[in-house]
Amino acid sequence: MTGTDQSEALRERVADAAEQGEALSITGSGSKHFYGNPVQGSALDIRAHRGIISYEPTELVLTARAGTPIVEIEEALTAEGQRLAFEPPQFNGGGTLGGVVAAGLAGPRRPYGGAVRDMVLGLRLINGRGELMRFGGEVMKNVAGYDVARLNTGALGTLGVITEVSLKVLPAPAARVTLEVEADPTQCHDLSEQWLRNGRPLSGMIHDGERLYARFEGTTSAVDDAVAAIDGKALEPAAADAFWQSIRDQRHAFFAGDEEPLWRISLPPASDPTVYGERFLIDWSGQQLWLRGHPEPHNLRARAAAEGGSATLFRGRIDGVDAFPPLDAVQARLHRNIKKAFDPHGILNPGRLYPDAEVS
Amino acid sequence: MQTHLADFIKDSAAGQEADAILRKCTHCGFCLANCPTYRLLGDELDSPRGRIYQIKQVLEGEAPTESIQLHLDRCLTCRACETTCPSGVEYGRLADLGREIVEEQVPRRGLQRWVRTGLRTVLPRPRLFGTLLTMGRLTRPLVPGPLRKKIRPRRPAPAWPSPSTHSRFVLMLEGCVQPALEPPINPQTARLMDELGIAVKRTTEVSCCGAIDQHLGASEAAKARIRSNIDAWWPHIEAGAEAIVVNASGCGAQVKDYGHLLADDPDYAEKAARVTALAIDPIELLERHADQLAPADDAPRRVAFQTPCTLQHAQKLNGRVDALMARIGFDMTPVPDAHICCGSAGTYSVLQPKMAEQLRTQKLENLNTGEPQVIATANIGCLTHLDEASEIPVRHWLELIKVA
Amino acid sequence: MPAHALFRDEDLRFDVDVDPLIDALRQVLPEEGLIVHEAGLRAYECDGLAPYKQLPRLVVVPETIEQVQTVLRLCHEAGVPVVTRGSGTSLSGGSLPHPQGVLLAMGKFNRIREIDHHRRIARVEPGVRNLAITEAAAPYGLYYAPDPSSQIACSIGGNVGENAGGVHCLKYGLTVHNVLAVKVITMEGELTTIGSESLDSPGLDLLALMHGSEGMLGVIVEVTVKLLPNPLTKQVLMASFADVESGGHAVAGLIARGIIPGGLEMMDGAAIQAAEDFVQAGYDTDAAAILICELDGSEAEVADQLKAVDECLRDHGATRIQVAADDEEKARFWAGRKAAFPAVGRISPDYYCMDGTIPRKQLAYVLRRISEISAAEALETVNVFHAGDGNLHPLILFDGNQPGQLEAAERVGSAILQLCVEVGGTVTGEHGVGVEKINEMCVQFAGAEIEQFHGIKAAFDEKGLLNPGKAIPTLNRCAEFGRLHVHNGELPHPELERL
Repeated sequence: MTGTDQSEALRERVADAAEQGEALSITGSGSKHFYGNPVQGSALDIRAHRGIISYEPTELVLTARAGTPIVEIEEALTAEGQRLAFEPPQFNGGGTLGGVVAAGLAGPRRPYGGAVRDMVLGLRLINGRGELMRFGGEVMKNVAGYDVARLNTGALGTLGVITEVSLKVLPAPAARVTLEVEADPTQCHDLSEQWLRNGRPLSGMIHDGERLYARFEGTTSAVDDAVAAIDGKALEPAAADAFWQSIRDQRHAFFAGDEEPLWRISLPPASDPTVYGERFLIDWSGQQLWLRGHPEPHNLRARAAAEGGSATLFRGRIDGVDAFPPLDAVQARLHRNIKKAFDPHGILNPGRLYPDAEVS
Repeated sequence: MQTHLADFIKDSAAGQEADAILRKCTHCGFCLANCPTYRLLGDELDSPRGRIYQIKQVLEGEAPTESIQLHLDRCLTCRACETTCPSGVEYGRLADLGREIVEEQVPRRGLQRWVRTGLRTVLPRPRLFGTLLTMGRLTRPLVPGPLRKKIRPRRPAPAWPSPSTHSRFVLMLEGCVQPALEPPINPQTARLMDELGIAVKRTTEVSCCGAIDQHLGASEAAKARIRSNIDAWWPHIEAGAEAIVVNASGCGAQVKDYGHLLADDPDYAEKAARVTALAIDPIELLERHADQLAPADDAPRRVAFQTPCTLQHAQKLNGRVDALMARIGFDMTPVPDAHICCGSAGTYSVLQPKMAEQLRTQKLENLNTGEPQVIATANIGCLTHLDEASEIPVRHWLELIKVA
Repeated sequence: MPAHALFRDEDLRFDVDVDPLIDALRQVLPEEGLIVHEAGLRAYECDGLAPYKQLPRLVVVPETIEQVQTVLRLCHEAGVPVVTRGSGTSLSGGSLPHPQGVLLAMGKFNRIREIDHHRRIARVEPGVRNLAITEAAAPYGLYYAPDPSSQIACSIGGNVGENAGGVHCLKYGLTVHNVLAVKVITMEGELTTIGSESLDSPGLDLLALMHGSEGMLGVIVEVTVKLLPNPLTKQVLMASFADVESGGHAVAGLIARGIIPGGLEMMDGAAIQAAEDFVQAGYDTDAAAILICELDGSEAEVADQLKAVDECLRDHGATRIQVAADDEEKARFWAGRKAAFPAVGRISPDYYCMDGTIPRKQLAYVLRRISEISAAEALETVNVFHAGDGNLHPLILFDGNQPGQLEAAERVGSAILQLCVEVGGTVTGEHGVGVEKINEMCVQFAGAEIEQFHGIKAAFDEKGLLNPGKAIPTLNRCAEFGRLHVHNGELPHPELERL
């Protein structure tokens, strides 16, 4: 297959940095540079380490180097009638496989199709000692050793430099449709449940404050049945695809402009998403709320936490406010200990996830 | 499972049977799921697998202890574990054997000993039991707590059918405590048979089936009783009795086991096997006459059926009574966890009152799920045990049907 | 007992006088919650991997979260190891007791705290049986998806500890995909909730890390799972094949057509026979292999898929296809498969169940090698296979009462696991490493990786008191195992000093 293996060069670079105590800021295409807390460190660019290593459609497994553009992976899958279930965002059209896994961000299909971590079968990783290691594998089920592959998914590169990932991939459905439905924003959960329990192949649900958009993907018969059963207006296929991409990649008008911070609030099912502010976009059947404006950060976080959710400062920085909400004392200690176990010198993306966790 | 049976038992017939049973056990733990005591207590020692392990230790030469005795006592011998076991482990047989050895070596103390002896003395003797029950009814307020609840007011019984001229006839085990506790059941069974053209030949010298001795670790006493029952039945069997109808499923399970229990008795092995072959629960006979049956005139139609463990796990007749009743016009209500024991389990409700009550509470909750008007069952033990606490009546299912 | 030592010297460094601990525990536990007499301990000496036995120093059976916290705090202070046990159904010896430690039996934690059908969430205690969750959810038309074959008995806490799979996980995921949160007590006795009812939680994915951690990181005292709506309709069919290889090709054929069945299982001739003896499900006992395939969805979807599956299976040489006539028959088709391991108890006094996962395309080669490996030791193997996800369960039949047979079975097992690694797979798909596969971990992982695992362990449990000697081998163990198992003159981990 294509691409080159730079893993040894990357490993050496990390090993040197470890020796020097030099902080590294791991970068790919830079499409998610805004996400997490700012990092001071020399850039470690992984883009040259790219290429799909193996892809066997009947095994449902794809393995590629971390620097491989996500677009390239999606093209390869599309050619075989398959896809990534978690619909990873391509902010600014960019994104590498390593970045997708390190950030652990998924698109609108996440509640129905699975999260990034749900599809990560294994990965290779350079830890903060400059050791190249392999965890997990290329098989669907694997419980040998701790699940380091999933632990590194969403760890924002604070535990290691991901160099290679094996993902579970799935067949793309035969049919899809998007319906525009008249509904109140508070109805997301109930409608979603009603549809799912009736076997409707729901794969996306957005409420923009005005209207509800529901996507169904599945066999032709299931999609046809959904259209027949649900009172809604079907979008033109091209417009529908463009709509979901604009949500996924945050190119929708709601996300435009950077004068107001963008908050991401993760909520338990059946929460009322309308109580958090005026300018919102509801995703994931009400379980992911995007919020613009200037809410008081501590109150916002307390409110979300009280419900069993959490609020992340997704875009835009606020002085004295970390990107991620604080952890309880036990888990904060576990975070520090785990960080130390992977990166004893604190050189990998220090502070990007939790400033406290980097103290060694 | 690997075994190393001790010298005292390994060459005996019992030892070899136990070894064969133990070796089938793969220690998978499936039995834990359906064990009533494990569900309540959550301790491996109170699970079938844990008890098998404790019995195995004794068979491998460890001295039995009071602790092992306690955990074997807590077992209801409901045999739900046997139904669940994929490997075919005959737990009930192993438990009987284990109890016998433990009983020999761990003496019972004080009150416990007297209660057990008392049960073994009184229950199998219908006249003695009947007399005591009548006295108890008269002096009910004076009887101590746990026993007082067992004393039920007497319900009037229908008349036995008049002697018939039917050419077909069956024997019937009338049981030890049943005639006194629930007088209607036996004559009602005989009347149904009679109306279907089958006479019931009464053998009043037969009363207890031997299960009480058997499960209280007195297998020799049980065998003596079995031999005497066989002797009483034998002339009628030779005269052409079609079957031995046992309308209490607990006793039925025991009679169906006679062949196995006396397999090594040169004088009785063959006869016992014949008795086993003839023993049937009423359902096995009545379901052949389903077209002639209907709900009794005064019977409520919404019925929850409580399948006795001895009917489902021992006799393997699960679902048959429910199916017949539904077919002839009853509205059978759903019963969750129908495979879990009600806590009656022979003498268990007397010996382990706390556990028995907890199990009964759960059972009644499950039986009432579908808001039935009456609970039907097929065993005298379950019937009286449930009826003590049930808000709706509990009846033998034969009392709810008639020949149309 | 197995040929290799269950515990090594370094696993046995906890030689403390436990009498003061016992006295302290007596103050906090219910009367029967503390077992110290040998006859009682004996019943806890093994789990579902019965040939591996070890008496614990004591067994505790707590009733409340506070009691568990106190037990752990006291053990932490005293430096006494703790092994947690649920239903004791582990097939890898995950809950094998530690000779110097406490066995923490969670059987009393068997209450379902909450079924929130509106939000499709169940909150349960860790001793709740897997199947009991589905039973409790059934009145609302919901179920809990992961269904390991032991689901009738295995506990949800153990399912998290092993990241249990099941026969539906290709489509519906493993335990890690279906658990939302766990309440965990650390070895120090502190309580924390990992995960939430939301779809993600801040920070590192500790929830994923807890899955499959084999009781080495904390003690789970509550589990919150998501429930799924029952599929509108299901169909189960059984296809017979004249050889296992054709069955394997048929599976690849289904996936190539974009069909992901709800369940897809294969059994070989001997397994078919044993299971049929137990359930009388109508399995084709003449077939060399059968494939059980479950399709779910709406009526129309299932009908479409059934047609496509039938066509595909016939194209790949299915000799007979039986479609379940009703729900009872569907249940019977599955019952035989789910009871297949212990049902083998009917044809062999003992069996040893392996759990490797392989890339599916290697199936024919691996099965051929398995039969060669077992033939060389004069043992028979029965194969049960999660065909959809490549998880292989060879059952090695032996008789523990015959001298040498257990050791032969272990050699076969070890060779099979190494074969799985050799073809690009793993030594355990869902049963866990436990004590059983701990040596083979040395084949799958390099020294740095193993050290990284130990680092994670220490991050949670600095003194190494939780389930010592399981799941992750020490490098000394690997060095010794390497010396025993030299392949082509190459030693794994040559950097280590040989013992």
